[in-house]
Amino acid sequence: MAVDMAMPILVVDDYKTMIRIIRNLLKQLGFDNVEEAADGEEAYQKMQDGPGYGLVISDWNMEPMTGYELLKQVRGDEKLKGTPFIMITAESKTENVIAAKRAGVNNYIVKPFNAATLKMKIASVIGDF
Amino acid sequence: MPATDVAAKIRGALDDIKAADLDDPRLMEVLSLAENLVDSMKLFFGSLDNSIHSEFLHIGQYIARTRDEIAALRPNDIRESRLPTAGAELEAVVNDTETATETIMTLAEDIMALEPDNLENYKAQVDEKMMGMIEACSFQDITGQRVSKVVSTLTHIEERVARFSSVMGVLDAEEDDSDEKEQWRQENLLNGPQIDGPATGQNAIDALFDGDISDEELGQDAIDNMFD
Repeated sequence: MAVDMAMPILVVDDYKTMIRIIRNLLKQLGFDNVEEAADGEEAYQKMQDGPGYGLVISDWNMEPMTGYELLKQVRGDEKLKGTPFIMITAESKTENVIAAKRAGVNNYIVKPFNAATLKMKIASVIGDF
Repeated sequence: MPATDVAAKIRGALDDIKAADLDDPRLMEVLSLAENLVDSMKLFFGSLDNSIHSEFLHIGQYIARTRDEIAALRPNDIRESRLPTAGAELEAVVNDTETATETIMTLAEDIMALEPDNLENYKAQVDEKMMGMIEACSFQDITGQRVSKVVSTLTHIEERVARFSSVMGVLDAEEDDSDEKEQWRQENLLNGPQIDGPATGQNAIDALFDGDISDEELGQDAIDNMFD
């Protein structure tokens, strides 16, 4: 099935610059419908109220709710548990990558990253586009 | 009253009794014994006096040395001058990098939005914006100098604290984990970027997600083997 390039994507990061970078990269890849949240709590609220996001791209280290906590909350939510979820973080300790995988993350990108890596990971999660 | 004074007083009392010219030889014997006893007690208490005196002298010297070492730490200089300056330098680094990133990103977005209908005009605009990007990169020189100042402050504090700790024989106390917010941060926030790049590279992470190894096999040894 073809990927819906107009699907809403939620980018979660507490650094405005990083959100802007990801937003620009997504735009370059053809995804224009991007929304943002500054931490897990805001993201979860948006997911509950929002349009049904086709993809969530989240950082790990955020307060008051981390990306890992958001992931667990989403996977435990009957309505949201199927949402594709990619973690983009500077944290790359093996045990944390595994913890995220066990919690149900669909893919994991280590910062710094480039457009090619982002495209490859998105394609692995939602299909080629 | 010091032991020597007490002994002198008792000895004086004994001399007065002796001088009274008593006839009873047994009483004289008792007085003589008492005299010997006073002499021994005088020696005993005298030695106690000396040891307490030297103990207090030692404590006094230790306190004086501690005060000198604390003074050598220059805590007021660290608190009032060096740490605030280092903090201000770091804040400036954050602001400088933020401003430069903002400038570069805006210029890049401007270039992406340019309409290349007139090649000469397009090139002139791209050149101008590229020059703006190059200028914005000059932040690196300034932030480098600011970070060097912070490193020098940290080195200064580290040297003095290490010297103090060594001279005073200080041992680390148990960590205070009573701060709830700090406890939450330690349990939930990770360490962020490693000094020498990612602890686990993107390729190793990809192998994990590509199913080269199953979740059931994800024991630490298997993981270590996979990522080695």
